Amino acid sequence: MPPPTSRSADWLAQAAAVFAKEWRCELRTRYALNTLALFAVTTLVVVSAGLGPLGTSAAEGTPVLPVLLWLILLFAAAAGLPRGFVQEEETHTATALRLAATPSALFCGKLLYGASLMLALEALVAPLFLALVQLEVAAPGLFAATLLAGGYGLAAASTLIAAMIAQARGRSALFAVLAFPITLPLLLLVVELTRNAVAGEPAGGALTQLLLYDATVTVASMMLFPVVWNP
Amino acid sequence: MPAASLRFTGLRRRFGRLAVLEGVSGAVAEGEALLVTGPNGSGKSTLLRCLAGLLAPDAGTVELTEDGRLLDAAGRRRSVGYVAPDLAFYEELTASENLAFFGRLRGAPPARGQELLARLGLPAERQAGALSSGMRQRLRWVWALLHRPRLLLLDEPFQNLDAGGEAAARALLAEHLAAGGLAVVANPSPLELGRAAPHLALG
Repeated sequence: MPPPTSRSADWLAQAAAVFAKEWRCELRTRYALNTLALFAVTTLVVVSAGLGPLGTSAAEGTPVLPVLLWLILLFAAAAGLPRGFVQEEETHTATALRLAATPSALFCGKLLYGASLMLALEALVAPLFLALVQLEVAAPGLFAATLLAGGYGLAAASTLIAAMIAQARGRSALFAVLAFPITLPLLLLVVELTRNAVAGEPAGGALTQLLLYDATVTVASMMLFPVVWNP
Repeated sequence: MPAASLRFTGLRRRFGRLAVLEGVSGAVAEGEALLVTGPNGSGKSTLLRCLAGLLAPDAGTVELTEDGRLLDAAGRRRSVGYVAPDLAFYEELTASENLAFFGRLRGAPPARGQELLARLGLPAERQAGALSSGMRQRLRWVWALLHRPRLLLLDEPFQNLDAGGEAAARALLAEHLAAGGLAVVANPSPLELGRAAPHLALG
């Protein structure tokens, strides 16, 4: 059940308004889109030039290349996603948001925006990566599910960390310190699942664990966010 | 406008060793504006932020009652109208888009924003980042009144406004008070608010 509403605007309408505002602002400035795309394409080119089809055998590729794919996604996300709440503080729009929005609806809108941005990033990076390193995926369904659930997990973790560091000094250092324990379990799971997808092996319990991770981070974020966002 | 009242008692707020507010108390009744004056750094803005629920006081209580219901800090944040120099809007969006966004968050009908934009003479389709400081102040007024708040918290509310802007803002404040609304107005020097206003001097 969504939390109580502010006046006549209901919780879902608020979350949808935040989501729409985020995309509207992003399409005007293209800051995150450009940062994510530039970082992703640059690292893709470096990886494919260094470890491409000529430099990696199929036997070596299965264990190594999924790690590289998720490192590219992780660092691209880290470059673009954490600005969500930090920018609200830096441009002083946070005060208006604190007064107008229900915290959990605000977080949900930001999270949906981050997840959609991750989805767009994955849609760009994954096909290019597979093509450039000529990596064949034996179980495309599992691969797609891993990208979806892993991308959502990365977006949820990044949005939570961004909210936590937004009002702090030394944000960059704090982001690194918080990101390590929060994203490590996710990365271990998605790398394992991607390896399984490439090799055509079953997901085992890792997919369930990944979905549980996503659910846990989402619920924890909804509970924590009002505390870190408000005085 | 239904009944509302504000009472704050013994507010204390420190930033490190610096005591900004020390035992500040006051009350505002329906149709009344409390004028808070004091030099720079005397705690006027801090007081308003405590009243709005944007800052938690170290000690003391804030009691904003609306329709016989005592609002907590979250309720105060959603309820108050707030004008302050540190209030900013999305520079990439136009004034109209900013108001549409915040109107959706606060459940205000789109026509309300357009009506206030027209009254304050704001260019609706100009990006907020391209507005002059006086126009930004007008946008703050529109934003604060969007959801028809019962309590207006106004920190240097006529700053940067030209004569026309100040007249329009004063008219809106007078209408708010005439309808039974409450206001706390902070300014470095005394202001003429059009009626005998209670006065709280800080510093």
